[in-house]
Amino acid sequence: MLSETQIQSDRLREEGYAFLPVWRRLSLQLFLLTAAMLLIVLLGELFQPSLDAQLERIVTLASVSLPVILWLYLSVMPEYRVARPRRRLIGVAVVSALAASAIGLPLLEDFYRVGEWLPLQSVFARILGYMLTAGAIDAGLKFLVLRYMIYPRSLRVRSDAFAYAFASAVGYSAFLNIALVLQFELTMGAAAIYLLANLTIQLASSMFIALGIVESYFSDAYPLVLPINVLIAAMSTGLITALVGGFMSGSLGTAGNTDRPLFAFAMLVASLVVAMGVVYFLYSNAERREREAFASQWQSDGI
Amino acid sequence: MEFETGRSPAIQMSPRQRWSIAFTYMLIILGLALGLNQRDSTLNLASEYSNLEAGISAKYPARWLLEETGAFIFRVRDMAHRGFNTVIEVSAAPVGSDTSERNILDQLTLQRAQVLTDYTVLAYDEFRLADDSPAISMSYSFVSRDSNPFLEGVSSIVYGLDILTVRRGQALIIAFRADADIYHRELETLRWFVQNLEF
Repeated sequence: MLSETQIQSDRLREEGYAFLPVWRRLSLQLFLLTAAMLLIVLLGELFQPSLDAQLERIVTLASVSLPVILWLYLSVMPEYRVARPRRRLIGVAVVSALAASAIGLPLLEDFYRVGEWLPLQSVFARILGYMLTAGAIDAGLKFLVLRYMIYPRSLRVRSDAFAYAFASAVGYSAFLNIALVLQFELTMGAAAIYLLANLTIQLASSMFIALGIVESYFSDAYPLVLPINVLIAAMSTGLITALVGGFMSGSLGTAGNTDRPLFAFAMLVASLVVAMGVVYFLYSNAERREREAFASQWQSDGI
Repeated sequence: MEFETGRSPAIQMSPRQRWSIAFTYMLIILGLALGLNQRDSTLNLASEYSNLEAGISAKYPARWLLEETGAFIFRVRDMAHRGFNTVIEVSAAPVGSDTSERNILDQLTLQRAQVLTDYTVLAYDEFRLADDSPAISMSYSFVSRDSNPFLEGVSSIVYGLDILTVRRGQALIIAFRADADIYHRELETLRWFVQNLEF
């Protein structure tokens, strides 16, 4: 005979399986992506292949499409095999990419003109500058996309917010990556680093926004919790953007300076792990608290 | 997480949620405004230049590179810009009593046509300096190519504007050049530079 707790647990489990789990798929995508980028960087560093410019362009464009393909295959397509799919994932990604194209990048490059005054500043000024320009623009746009496309109607469980935030990050960074590859003639290794950097920056920022939305909506948190999370999202953008360039560039010598893509790669992976770890810890903590509260209420109702 | 608790969406947001969204909008607007302030304070930061021998003092953008060696009194360049670096160059030349301002500009045209690719004079106009004294201006364009052929850079179209005034038997020429894409935006810097130029 099953105990009450067992019945309750089974019911929760059954209901939970109606939604596609997010975190394991997200981790798998990030693992595959970082492994692919590491492979490209190592190939460039160890063998220094002299590819034809056309072929190098094709490889970099293929690298741009990799996060989108992984996301479509591991996050979007499986949604249609569960009972209650997240139907707006593609919509959120497309609108985020359009927002980056129509507002984000023009505002950053033509209005704020960050390339003209920020790269030559001190580290602290760069972090603050990128936080107040790129961070505020990216976080603001992605928050608006999530606010008007999913909040609150498409939020059924906490992980919905993270799935949509990931879609927003993939869409937003995909456009930035396409613009980057088309604008500059990057080598394979440099392209891999900058593509990973864009995805890391957007993902870290989106995850903190999602955490704010989750806390505000599901826990009815204090009104400052959501803006603080958006502020942290902007800060993470400022921090990673300002530091990745420094890690990428080697010291200046008489023979010029050389790139250090492995340093930049390690820094990006560390940023990704820290950001995702913090968000996952806070998410699972909130989820556990709600589950315990739900279970104790169930028991007190005498079910 | 293996499973999650389901929750029916509450379509009506609570006052806390409404306030949190309003605060978030305010935060984003505040951040963008502070970013704008930081941009302006950095871009508008000025350094001072003075040359007692030539009797010139000027203010120029602090992030631009100052050079004093060459066929000019001084020049400042925006080295942060990709492609053609925006430049303001101040030079002086003695003029005879029968030499008109237009003669000097024609002389410049002849010299530049030999060294600049596709150099074309676009227009002559009048210009008012900071003290309301008259000057003559000449706008032109040319094609700039990277001096290092191994960089395989793409040529860019450059617009230029010379402002010339004659005082005390000397012609003072302020030559301004910028990439055609940013020329009109950079004209603001030239106007500010001319406003603060004393000679």
